[in-house]
Amino acid sequence: MNRKRSKGWNFVSFILLIYVVIVLFLLLSTVFASFKTKSQLAESIVGIPNNPTLNNYIQILFVDGFLKYMLNSVILTCISVAAVLMVSSMTAYGLARYRFKGRYFLQMFFLLGLMFPIQLGILPNFLLLNKLGLVNTFAGMVLLYSANISFPFFIFFKAFQKLPASLEEAARIDGANEFSIYFRVMLPIARPVFITVGLITFVNLWNDFYLPLVFLSKDNVKTMTLAIQKYLANFLKNWDLVFPAVVLGVLPLIIIFIFGADKIVEGLTAGSTKE
Amino acid sequence: MKKIKKMPYLWFILPGLILYIVFMMAPMLTSFYLSLFSWNGIGSMKFISFDNYIKLFTESRSFDMFTNALGNNIKYVLCMLIIIMPIQLLLAYAFHMKIKGYRTLQLLVFLPFVFSTVIVGFFVMELFNPNFGIINTVLKNLNLEQLITSWLGDRNKAFPIFVAVAGWQGLGVGMMLFLSNMKSIPMDIMEASEIDGAGAFSKFFSVVIPCIIPSIINVLVLDVIWGLTVFDLPYVIVGPNGGVNGSLDFMNLFFYRNAFGTGYSGEAQVGFASAIGTVLFVVILAISIFQTNFLNKIDLES
Repeated sequence: MNRKRSKGWNFVSFILLIYVVIVLFLLLSTVFASFKTKSQLAESIVGIPNNPTLNNYIQILFVDGFLKYMLNSVILTCISVAAVLMVSSMTAYGLARYRFKGRYFLQMFFLLGLMFPIQLGILPNFLLLNKLGLVNTFAGMVLLYSANISFPFFIFFKAFQKLPASLEEAARIDGANEFSIYFRVMLPIARPVFITVGLITFVNLWNDFYLPLVFLSKDNVKTMTLAIQKYLANFLKNWDLVFPAVVLGVLPLIIIFIFGADKIVEGLTAGSTKE
Repeated sequence: MKKIKKMPYLWFILPGLILYIVFMMAPMLTSFYLSLFSWNGIGSMKFISFDNYIKLFTESRSFDMFTNALGNNIKYVLCMLIIIMPIQLLLAYAFHMKIKGYRTLQLLVFLPFVFSTVIVGFFVMELFNPNFGIINTVLKNLNLEQLITSWLGDRNKAFPIFVAVAGWQGLGVGMMLFLSNMKSIPMDIMEASEIDGAGAFSKFFSVVIPCIIPSIINVLVLDVIWGLTVFDLPYVIVGPNGGVNGSLDFMNLFFYRNAFGTGYSGEAQVGFASAIGTVLFVVILAISIFQTNFLNKIDLES
């Protein structure tokens, strides 16, 4: 396909350039502003700081406890991603590689979750977790995240369907039990899928706001998204502290994005092409 | 026990199934059950049958809030479908046609995917805050003070700004879905139309679009669901009350206020909130069924 050099396409490139410049400008402004003091910010919210200072970072990390919130996010997200990967891949494996009655019904059943977002069932979930004493715990959150597996299930299901049955049979002949087959034969082959789903799930859970908002109200378990929102809500009082919080909140994901963007895209687009 | 041993798949499926039923499916039904009661979450529950629904649809204060919120949701969905989706299609096509710098531009358009809605809300504040925001500051410096407004505080400006921001955040994902579908269009179809003398734009409409109907349907369905259940962004930008005059009030915010009670609107009303939730559920269900039938017809015809 020839590269189009007509004016029309160059114009589109130009518009996109502006769009991208806006994004970069926002990010850079935020980074610069995080190194300014309140009075410097009052002077001008944009622009390179004159005397860059780390005070804001020190303030939020050590005095306000932002470090704790970030650690909470890290711990919660990592555990939850592991749980989601385990549960969704096993479920998808069970439904993809065995034939039994009610198989199709279960497949459709799990895909229903794609249509109904978690917000609709939040009240009963809250009441249930409350009864179990799991509000304000990571365990409760992990349970909720592990239940919300329609999308990962869908990706794994498609992937497992494609694996050749010959491998399975060979392993069975060698006397391996079912779980061994799953763990030692099929998983390694599906590793790329795990990475992709893992990355997408990580981004989604790290950025999650609604569930932590409802279930993590005690200060010692709050996540980074809640902390940033708290600074935002008190914008006028603490607006110099919002900037470093945002920078720290966004940094891990930008790093993940730089290294994993293509895998993420691969995973997201897995469902939309007719194979 | 012997029979279970012969069904290994059961062990693989059971954990997920139990979790899914307990925390995803059962809550939908329980929600409806709760809506038949009057309860503030702590005290006793009083069975009041469909009174919550009657209150929702007849009491003018709640009905007005309900129609305003649902109206906003519908407006939002339409904006996503009519304004944002065409932009995503055009961008995907542009990248498919490999415009200048497409490799980097693609990634950068997709970048906002990793921004949490809290981060996006922050950018909104950074730009639009009437006192310190970048936009008003820049306008002041350029002596264009007459253009300064309160942006999100202005009833007429808040919604368009919101749609623009939400569109900005969601642009990348939809675009990627379209692009990947475009990539799977067989080369000979594209070449055949070129030979027939089709220019870039007529190729777009007569060849590309029909071939990517699957992803268009995909994105359409997702946009509708996300649009009907939007919560994070308006909450972060304007708080649980939906902003000035409810200009950014949405069904999920309305639900949240009543479910957990905010200082402004009084104590929690679990039953009433569950009624709102159930109504929203029914709306989504109805639209989904309608969509499935309608879109399946299109899919078959294409």
